[in-house]
Amino acid sequence: MDRSFFRELISKQILVLDGATGTEMQKRGMPLGVCPEKWVLENPQVLAEVQREYFGAGADLVYTFTFGGNRVKLEEFGLSTQVVEFNRELAKLSKEVAGTTGYVVGDLAPTGKFVTPFGEMPFETVVEIYKEQVRGLLEGGVDLFVIETMLDIQEARAALLAVRESCTLPVIVSMTFDETGRTLTGTDPVSALLTLQSLGADAVGCNCSTGPADMMRVIAAMKPYAKVPLLAKPNAGLPKLIAGKTVFEMTSVEFGSYVPGLIEVGVNLIGGCCGTTPAYIREVRQKSLGVTLKEIQPAEFSGVSSARKTVFFGAKHPVTIVGERINPTGKKKLQEELRGGKTTEVRRFALEQLEKGAAILDVNVGMSGIDEKAMMVELVGLLSQIVDAPLCLDSSSPEVLEAALRVYPGRALINSISGEQVKLEKLLPLAAKYGAMFILLPLNDQGIPEKVAGRIEIIKDVFCEAEKYGYAKEDLVVDGLVMTVSSDQQAAQETLKVIDWCAHEFGCNTIVGLSNVSFGLPERAWVNTAFFAMGIARGLTMAIANPSSEMLMNLKRACDVLTSNDQNSQAYLEHFAQSSTGDKGGTKREQSLLSSEERVFEAVLKGERDGIIELLEKAIGEGILPDKLVNEDLIPAISKVGQLFDEKKYFLPQLIQSAETMKKAFEYLEPLLKTSPAELVKNKTKILMATVKGDIHDIGKNIVSLMLKNYGFVIYDLGKDVAAEEIIAKAKEVNADVIGLSALMTTTMVEMKRVIQLAKVEALNCKFIIGGAVVNDQYAKEIGADGYASDAYSAVKLVQNLL
Amino acid sequence: MVQYFDHLPVNPREDLILYRLGYQKHNTSLEEVHRKALEAGLREGKMICQIRGAVGRFRIIARSIEKITLENQAVLDSKSLAHLLAQSDEVVLLAATAGTEIVERILFEINQGDPVLGVILDAVASQTVDAGLDYLNQLFAKMLSREGKKLTKHRYSPGYGDLDLSAQRIIFEMLQLEKLDLTLTEKYMLVPEKSVLAIAGIEGVS
Repeated sequence: MDRSFFRELISKQILVLDGATGTEMQKRGMPLGVCPEKWVLENPQVLAEVQREYFGAGADLVYTFTFGGNRVKLEEFGLSTQVVEFNRELAKLSKEVAGTTGYVVGDLAPTGKFVTPFGEMPFETVVEIYKEQVRGLLEGGVDLFVIETMLDIQEARAALLAVRESCTLPVIVSMTFDETGRTLTGTDPVSALLTLQSLGADAVGCNCSTGPADMMRVIAAMKPYAKVPLLAKPNAGLPKLIAGKTVFEMTSVEFGSYVPGLIEVGVNLIGGCCGTTPAYIREVRQKSLGVTLKEIQPAEFSGVSSARKTVFFGAKHPVTIVGERINPTGKKKLQEELRGGKTTEVRRFALEQLEKGAAILDVNVGMSGIDEKAMMVELVGLLSQIVDAPLCLDSSSPEVLEAALRVYPGRALINSISGEQVKLEKLLPLAAKYGAMFILLPLNDQGIPEKVAGRIEIIKDVFCEAEKYGYAKEDLVVDGLVMTVSSDQQAAQETLKVIDWCAHEFGCNTIVGLSNVSFGLPERAWVNTAFFAMGIARGLTMAIANPSSEMLMNLKRACDVLTSNDQNSQAYLEHFAQSSTGDKGGTKREQSLLSSEERVFEAVLKGERDGIIELLEKAIGEGILPDKLVNEDLIPAISKVGQLFDEKKYFLPQLIQSAETMKKAFEYLEPLLKTSPAELVKNKTKILMATVKGDIHDIGKNIVSLMLKNYGFVIYDLGKDVAAEEIIAKAKEVNADVIGLSALMTTTMVEMKRVIQLAKVEALNCKFIIGGAVVNDQYAKEIGADGYASDAYSAVKLVQNLL
Repeated sequence: MVQYFDHLPVNPREDLILYRLGYQKHNTSLEEVHRKALEAGLREGKMICQIRGAVGRFRIIARSIEKITLENQAVLDSKSLAHLLAQSDEVVLLAATAGTEIVERILFEINQGDPVLGVILDAVASQTVDAGLDYLNQLFAKMLSREGKKLTKHRYSPGYGDLDLSAQRIIFEMLQLEKLDLTLTEKYMLVPEKSVLAIAGIEGVS
């Protein structure tokens, strides 16, 4: 069967698929725990009988019994060397049953391992595993392929590429969505559809996990964007565990009653999965007879997908921002990190840009001193996992782009393909193979045409070539090619003309790299933003930009309202409702009525660390004594903070912010106080802090040390994993008043007791306080400590009480 | 078979991060300065945490009311765990880590940088690594549902109840957690600090 025949076949009728086969085998004698494929080859008459019954019930196609026929699954039975043989013989067996009237579908199913970037199995290894199985199935003479019960879009992609790179037979891809409407690894139906149909699937759909009602919702979500036929192979309802056995309670008649509805929402291929039998398939055949076939209307849309999200864009959508920041050009820190193999800045740019409103992320790692291909592949993997946004793969190297496209678990946007002959020859087939959208650069081997007419010619030429690979206008985005106005003031107008022509005559999306226009000018943001607004007015649909520019993003939001692409101004209203910060002027007016002392009090209370010194200087300038500021403002303020923390009106960051403000104020005032600094230190309580031996947890103890320090205690922090002997020796040396011990684990809390016992032996006269996740008041009493503190502020209060 | 995951797509719940910091929705009042610090800290923490994980499935080969024995003869001494696993023939062992970068950053901020940011990052890291474990737990539960099986309602971690912390060694070795760049100290602590292990039972027979 070739692909065009498959399309023709399915355009005329509903194709009926088989139902569950594995459970039918078990009912007819296949024991649990055996290799199913091997057992069937040893008992071929059983499979033949089941498949004959399915054909007899009205199935047009049956799947080969090769669900577990890949190398990874067969390895579980020590049979990994027989992949080709098993698949060939099982395919032959089904072909004999099908004869000349039925079709046999070569069945590929999950390996059970997770593929990179989510899991650890290398993508190419998985492609090779499926190619091996495909080879056997082809030798056995299958008519087409199905990749079924897929839980992970990346594994489905690997299997699809394996089939596509092995033969020209039609291939169906069927994902498994749970009751939340997503696959195990989080892919939604629309993203799965876009990714798979653009990668060359001849039909897409779903099987297993849910019954026909849930599947109807999945198909309905896919249908508006489906350029290929859709498949549904539901379970006989949801499974129930009854007396230790999984039971599907939906009857064949009830199952069949969903068939007209499934066809109505757009299904073209229907069969059954877990719990179904030939009786269910008979119902499917009967209920599909006479139902009018829904014609497949190829939808016109522009959209790219990630593994978990699809972004649509175009004239009827808000202007789409492609975040430009993951690009080392002019970013020294990012360059250093990439050279060192680090990705912190990349993650920062990704998350920040999405938070600021980018919908797609451009990824460019072109720079000297790194392996661009390896880095691009690494970043595609990283970003595919940590963010949901689709990626725009930006490189001038076909090798880099191919490597990235191969592992990208969605439908990508390529930046870019120009009219240069080499680019056309290398990049167009590449883009088409992986189903990517692309940005069309209107330049060719002669350079960039200065005038719009020249650019239009190139756009037409490139599109003409792209059409040969199956591209439509909605699959490409024309770059208006922004030149700098500081060297040619007419340049912006030519770009706007290109945008206008694309939007109103040619009918495709457009994009601009905004910042180029203002190069060489001062206050570039004004020029960029003005140009952006002019572009939107002429029909611009996308921009590659830095979404951190509030001016730019707010202008976009306003333009989306004015072009009616932000329906009911919803996004605009939501954004400005969130960013409203209340009556700041009122607060300032209230503050201006406060005295200098009251302002100092307020600053500590609110944790205004940056402004505290200025306030103290002002108060002292007005003749207020430093001692008075400490005793009547700072200490009451920090006490009030403690009270608010106790009442849960403040939380930990506020407590620390205020304590830091207090500390900064006190450090400034200390030299000005009547008491000398030396005397102050002498009079201060000395606290020795340590995490006990064997325990490497440092964070909690450090927070307690910090808080005690901010409350004016002198802290000697010995760190973590500190021996009892070292703690006691240091306590003697500094004449500690209090020893604070921390332990986070049951295995190390016992060390606290040893420290206290050693202190007694050494006749050390100091108090002991303890803290940590596994200790409590009772344990403190048991080991002879003077108290237990559950958190940093409790520790402050505990020490104050003890002294 | 143990499976390893390099970038778990977790999104920690902000309300739980705030809860760790002592925030109460209807009680705690935030000034603008605190709100901004909080937002910046949450963003930074989520950016730095790199959640990796491992999951493995192992058979229970013997049991009593006081202990269970896993397929490699590893014995987990715990009445409460044995009770939890009473209906299970298999267990799933889980591990998640937030990596070293976040721990180093927390300590830097608390000791030398911005302590407010430090405590926020600390809460983000703890919640994110827990979210990583939740993610793996749910992932495995969904996979099991396809076999007509389910995970026990609760999971257990060494150091809680009567399951001694030394069980960390058993889980560490069975999951071969050095592959996630983790190490275990003599006192059974995981390094880096923001790492967690758990055990749950697999119930139901198809």
